[in-house]
Amino acid sequence: MLEALRKVPLYVMNRKFGWPKMLPMSITISPSPRCNSRCLTCNIWMKREDELSLEEWDKTFQSMGDTPFWFTISGGEPFMNKDIVETAQSIYKHCHPGIINIPTNSLMHKIIQPKVATMCETCPDTQFIINLSLDGVGDKHDHIRGIAGNFEKFEANYRALRELDYPNLSIGIHSVISRFNVDDIHELYDYAFGLKPDSYITEIAEQRVELDTVGISITPSRDKYSAAIDELIARVELQQFRGISKVTEAFRVRYYKLVKRILAEETQVIPCYAGWASAQIYANGDVWACCVRADNMLNLRSVDYDFKRVWFSKEADTIRASIKAKECHCPLANASYTNMLMHAPTLAKVGSKVAWESLPLVSGRHNKDAAAVPAVTVSTIPGGRK
Amino acid sequence: MKWLWLQDLVRKPKDAQYAKIVLDRYRLGIKAHGEIRGARIIPGSEQCEKAMSVAGKTYLPDDAPLIPIQGCSLPGGCCCSYTPVMKYEPQMGEAAQPEPVHTV
Repeated sequence: MLEALRKVPLYVMNRKFGWPKMLPMSITISPSPRCNSRCLTCNIWMKREDELSLEEWDKTFQSMGDTPFWFTISGGEPFMNKDIVETAQSIYKHCHPGIINIPTNSLMHKIIQPKVATMCETCPDTQFIINLSLDGVGDKHDHIRGIAGNFEKFEANYRALRELDYPNLSIGIHSVISRFNVDDIHELYDYAFGLKPDSYITEIAEQRVELDTVGISITPSRDKYSAAIDELIARVELQQFRGISKVTEAFRVRYYKLVKRILAEETQVIPCYAGWASAQIYANGDVWACCVRADNMLNLRSVDYDFKRVWFSKEADTIRASIKAKECHCPLANASYTNMLMHAPTLAKVGSKVAWESLPLVSGRHNKDAAAVPAVTVSTIPGGRK
Repeated sequence: MKWLWLQDLVRKPKDAQYAKIVLDRYRLGIKAHGEIRGARIIPGSEQCEKAMSVAGKTYLPDDAPLIPIQGCSLPGGCCCSYTPVMKYEPQMGEAAQPEPVHTV
């Protein structure tokens, strides 16, 4: 983690002056868009692609070296990919990332636990974060995810993963706040916090080219989202965190506040580093700055799987210029957490908050109030779904 | 949030493959009982009369005008795009349809 933080000034210089050339520290890969959910907020499951093979992914990871600190293996549903374990192992072998984050809809819960166990055992120096999607409680979850019985499978998957005892495994819960659940958010928070996951994160439903949701009304109204997120912030701030969790929760609260500002101001509130510090590789080998824009830099097949040739191409520069000119803005979580890391004022606010809450008197106050709400145990890392 | 910048971003010239890829996807979505019920066209430019004449309506994939739109007047090529129409999105004069829950 410290190694990644050490590179932050280099990314800032890279974005400002074009030098030094840097590979991204956060990479999301989507080996397949196939998904067995039928979510109201996502149409990716309808896509079919000429997907990269495991061998092609392996060549790609080999070309990246060990710069990427954070990998997200996304989808579609990542566990529908028969090669997911081998993909994680290939990332581990070539890139040695600090974190591999995998979201799941839990529908294939019977195969998920053994696959996660294998990944944790065979990649011991990488922290795995398995984020279980939860968009409602009971039938509400099934309704939003479009599959009857999904909530029961979520519970079974959560129980099964909780039985695993690996020091490099965190089990998180991830909720997409959309216009379909924003009115029932208290119930969702109560349930999710009550499960005491290692982390509980939310993301706002947003239009994305990748998900084929451009032009579809899925984002909740600004007022409703603000109320929902204020409640979440209040709950998080009543918790007592220790060590690194104190830092990650401070980042998370900053993220939620940032989303509110982006919705209100409709601009890049802080500079976006998608295309500099974060990237996404789609199933067919297209390389994107992010999944919201999903505009292709180049395809990996056209450059013999050499990620650097894509990343340092003039096509990539064109996309970066558009992002730098603030021609886009969005609250995408993965990019936003990277952006906050690159933003000195945000780092200062997080630092001062952590320092303030570490004072014995302040910690004591939190301790007393914490009894009033369900507790989240240890929250390791702030990131989320792709 | 209006996401107008994103709708502008997708206004790029489309090749001949675009319509087949996207409409095949929507056919699959409807066949598999997804929430999609049709396709709508986001016009590439409000200055293009051809685009404006087909925009705003909901089409079944088999009936949708093909992009690039024939007779498009944009000098760089047709920048229209498809967007899915979901069952929960009421159209003018229509009530929202119920959202079924499917089984795997």
